[in-house]
Amino acid sequence: MRDDSYCIEFEDVSQVFRLIRERPDTLREVFAKVRHYSSRHQKFEALKHISFRIGKGEMVGIIGRNGSGKSTILKVAAGVYTATSGNVRVRGTIAPLIELGAGFHHELTGRENILLNGLLLGLTKRQVMEREERIIEFAELGDFIDSPIKQYSSGMYMRLAFSVATEVDPDILIIDEILGVGDAGFKQKCFERILNFRRAGKTILLVSHDSSTIQQYCDRVLLIHAGELIAEGAPERVLARYEELYTHTAVPVPVGQ
Amino acid sequence: MRRFFGELYTYRELIWALALKELRVRYKRSVLGFFWALLNPALLMLVLTLVFGTLMRIGVPHYSVFLLSVLLPWTFFSQALAYSVESIVGNGGLLKQVRVAKLVFPVAALVSNIINFLLSLIPLLLLIAALRFPFHWTWIYLPVPMLALFLFTLGAAFFFATINVFYRDVSHIVQILLTAWFYLSPIIYSIDFVPSKYHWILRLNPLLYVLNGFRLSIYYGMLPSWKSVAMSLACGVVSLVVGLSVFRRYERSFVYYV
Repeated sequence: MRDDSYCIEFEDVSQVFRLIRERPDTLREVFAKVRHYSSRHQKFEALKHISFRIGKGEMVGIIGRNGSGKSTILKVAAGVYTATSGNVRVRGTIAPLIELGAGFHHELTGRENILLNGLLLGLTKRQVMEREERIIEFAELGDFIDSPIKQYSSGMYMRLAFSVATEVDPDILIIDEILGVGDAGFKQKCFERILNFRRAGKTILLVSHDSSTIQQYCDRVLLIHAGELIAEGAPERVLARYEELYTHTAVPVPVGQ
Repeated sequence: MRRFFGELYTYRELIWALALKELRVRYKRSVLGFFWALLNPALLMLVLTLVFGTLMRIGVPHYSVFLLSVLLPWTFFSQALAYSVESIVGNGGLLKQVRVAKLVFPVAALVSNIINFLLSLIPLLLLIAALRFPFHWTWIYLPVPMLALFLFTLGAAFFFATINVFYRDVSHIVQILLTAWFYLSPIIYSIDFVPSKYHWILRLNPLLYVLNGFRLSIYYGMLPSWKSVAMSLACGVVSLVVGLSVFRRYERSFVYYV
């Protein structure tokens, strides 16, 4: 910890989900289940008493296997989920890059989507307008900007989404495994932008399966295993622990997700 | 309530953009685009006027105006409700990605339908002019039933959008409910056509007073009684309070169910 001015603080945070298959979707299912409901009610603890602090200007990586709870941490930090118990404190504005382009509407043009997505991420209309040209330029969309985005290639789509989210200029950037954006050249641009964020003293929280990315860029790494925080510290040490866990224990891969 | 107005203010630009998006998507890729918002009710009016003005003679002079004065508000209500019921579920992908006040979605669905409704009044004005039907001064009273109608619709929207998150059956039920509601409301008929021993059933309808206000001021050139005005506004406020509190109670869980 550099100092006390933390940006994100998790204090004994747990997140419990009711398992999807136990959740009745229609009235008919409710009636069908009413008798067994209470006995078969199943819960899934996605996060178990997680505590950590992230200081201002830190770049922290989160690693763990699929279904270990990494994305859940990001969503709790972004305020999408409300923690079942414990305290979450966040200081500053957050731009979540969790599912890129989730707010896009396929019938609308790139330009229309920039406005809508910018507003969703908390900008005012004027702020979006000021950034519009830079967003378009960074996304390298050219004339496509006035076509409906259903005509975009997946690379163009991702570039636009990344470009909007990062032009928002948040205090905290949350990135969930999205650096497979576009071709090598654009990937490089994305990294440069993320590093610029870092230089500007912004806080970055990054989920990645790519050890080299984590090793290269992160100040600190959190290792999540089955909803628990099992290691925390310098990248080399935590990554080594991760490798060890990965090779020596036969962890059953969670179903779904 | 204070939080409600606070969020409306904070998210006003987003709500407006979402409402315009909805309209834009609705009319996108049609040659006439936004004109459909005018053309739709205009064509409906043309058909109604022809049918009831020449083919079927009903003992109500200018039946088309009689009908449209409440049919347009009703159409607003049923369309706004049908849209907003799906507003949370339909934006599920978004709710999972960003933190945003959930009420923007039902409110935006309402706003887009308000725009549609106000546009549909233009062909009504044209029709009234074409039929040489008098323009009553009581038109200036219309903002009152409109306000009551918007409040009521918003409350219903919050209520049904919330339940629809947990039980998707609701959007189907709402469709059936709206059909029944339509025939139980004095829209194609007037309450005077109904034997007075059944009036109590019609009076259970919370939209009765609002619709009455529209018809009185547009068709009859009269103002509703104070009691009726108070009832229409009260129904609107009660609906909003109930709908909003149900919405508030469950909005945190939406993200796990969409």
